[in-house]
Amino acid sequence: MKIYGVGAAEGIGIGVAKVVREQNVEVVKKTVSDSETEVNNFMRVLDITKAETEKMSQALEKNASAKEAEILFGHIMLMSDPMLVDEIVNRIKGESVCAEYVIEEVCNQYAAVFASMDDELMQQRATDMIDIKTRLIKKVLGIENTDLSKLPYGSILVAKDLTPSMTAGLNPDNVLGIVTQFGGKTSHSAILARALEIPAVVGLSNLPEDISDDTDILLDGESGEVIILPTDNEKSDYENKKKKYDANKEVLKKYRELPSISKDGKKVEIAGNIGSPEDAKKVIENGGEGIGLFRTEFLFMDRDCMPTEEEQFESYKEVAAAMEGKPVIIRTLDIGGDKEIPYMGIVQDENPFLGYRAIRLCLDRKDDIYIPQLRALLRASAFGNIKIMLPLITSMDEIREAKALISNIKKELDEKNIAYNKNIEVGIMVETAAASLLADIFAKEVDFFSIGTNDLIQYTMSVDRGNVKIAGLYSPFSPAVLRSINRIITEGKKAGIMVGMCGEAAADPLLIPVLLAWGMDEFSMSASSILKSRQIISGCDSKDLKAKVDKVLEMSTESEIKEYLKKLTEEIGC
Amino acid sequence: MVSEELKVINPSGLHLRPAGNLCKEALKYDSKINIIFKDATANAKSVLSVLAACVKCGDAIKITCDGRDEKEALEALKNLINSGFGELK
Repeated sequence: MKIYGVGAAEGIGIGVAKVVREQNVEVVKKTVSDSETEVNNFMRVLDITKAETEKMSQALEKNASAKEAEILFGHIMLMSDPMLVDEIVNRIKGESVCAEYVIEEVCNQYAAVFASMDDELMQQRATDMIDIKTRLIKKVLGIENTDLSKLPYGSILVAKDLTPSMTAGLNPDNVLGIVTQFGGKTSHSAILARALEIPAVVGLSNLPEDISDDTDILLDGESGEVIILPTDNEKSDYENKKKKYDANKEVLKKYRELPSISKDGKKVEIAGNIGSPEDAKKVIENGGEGIGLFRTEFLFMDRDCMPTEEEQFESYKEVAAAMEGKPVIIRTLDIGGDKEIPYMGIVQDENPFLGYRAIRLCLDRKDDIYIPQLRALLRASAFGNIKIMLPLITSMDEIREAKALISNIKKELDEKNIAYNKNIEVGIMVETAAASLLADIFAKEVDFFSIGTNDLIQYTMSVDRGNVKIAGLYSPFSPAVLRSINRIITEGKKAGIMVGMCGEAAADPLLIPVLLAWGMDEFSMSASSILKSRQIISGCDSKDLKAKVDKVLEMSTESEIKEYLKKLTEEIGC
Repeated sequence: MVSEELKVINPSGLHLRPAGNLCKEALKYDSKINIIFKDATANAKSVLSVLAACVKCGDAIKITCDGRDEKEALEALKNLINSGFGELK
């Protein structure tokens, strides 16, 4: 039986089901004769639970999932809270009632307090409280879910959903796959699986309820396919797939230490896109040669006040230092009316992507937003190879105004004797039709171009990519988009500046040969795509490809181009 | 008893991790330590109590310490809060 869900963590899983059954826990108020023993029992359960959580938290921190480790750290803090623990202990003693009843009462009471708070982060603490409660009660009552810490090698974990505490005891060496009924790409189960590199498929709405333990299961964490009770053929298919996947992973590892050079000796740079300083680690681990896009929005989101210049400086500096002199392109704030940020006075815009956003908003809010950000960037430039990138440029006036601001800040820093890189490069995102049409003129004014394909497609094709009815129009293979990209690269190279790309298209196996042949210098992508892309580039002869890929400029439809490029890449075997 | 008014400067306010670190520090001292914010008093040694005070970035709080090591306790908590709990590094 084949079912499909959301591929949440790459890899092929082959094993037998271990089903996590959610038992409804009935808590009955019982009096106990020996409250001393009851208290001791509670304290013992608490210690075991804390130790398990601690172990998992450390495992997650090692695997670069700070956010998940954070949740578990919170659980430990809550379980260590003297107010909570004392209250439970005192009530068991005072009322001579069983531990599970008191745990239920006390935890519910705190959860209710958190749930009633007018703060989303605090409301999440209510979920944590309930999670801890359930776990402690089950332990006290001796109800064991499938004990995740003792799962044998070859287990495929099957569950409705995984809560942080359920996974706290999980042994990643023995669990070969995770399959859940609920959840999406960003749910706890998905994040955890990726951090532990366990193949996972989540959001399987038609996952049968009655799977029994030790049923054979196959899963593909990329396509989202899950096969329950596979045939022998399906099984051997998956075994081959797994061999291929594992071998491929080994090959890619080889590319980690290699430079990005095409067959004919053209050297390019493969960089990573990041959204926060901690992401830089993943880029380095995957052999990234720089940061091609550091989105600074995270500094401004999910908070109640403007980040200070100091705070921004620390984040930019952290990335610059971590990359040890490799280029770090930092994009100035790209935010607008698609997000509501009350403390900034940003409200929903009727047409957010054509509205008051990015450079437009920043140049209008110089004193409180743009100058502090630019000053933080300049100061941080003393600690590494930072480059400043301006988003959503449509006119020369915007470039000049931003550059004037930067040179004023430089003067001010000179006067105060504050260090910065005097030759800091300033470039632009080329992501609007206007910027593409004016690429020849802009190229004379800036130090580099970075093509933002996601927006370039959206603005060139006049298509909202979130709208499923017209999603077919959104494609980097549209003739108009490819002509635009070709124009941007050609004009940039004519002026002798670096041209890069930081959209999804930079990692598209069909487009990499095209971009390489047209002369693109830098490919920036998510960390997980870096090695694969380096392998493709190593197999390409850019000179030989030039005439072949230029043919797409004469083609009239998206499907024709895509078909042609599929054949071409098969031919060259990359 | 000693006390001091302080401003919380780390971006997330007294959310889980900072609150947790504050409690860990407070637990090292014998003194009774309270956080007073908007008429409410929170026990600095209880993460639940501190969280429930809902202190955000930019809020002014008062710390009171009472006990034999009250001076050291106040000094330690002051340093922690003024350092932005490491969120500012």
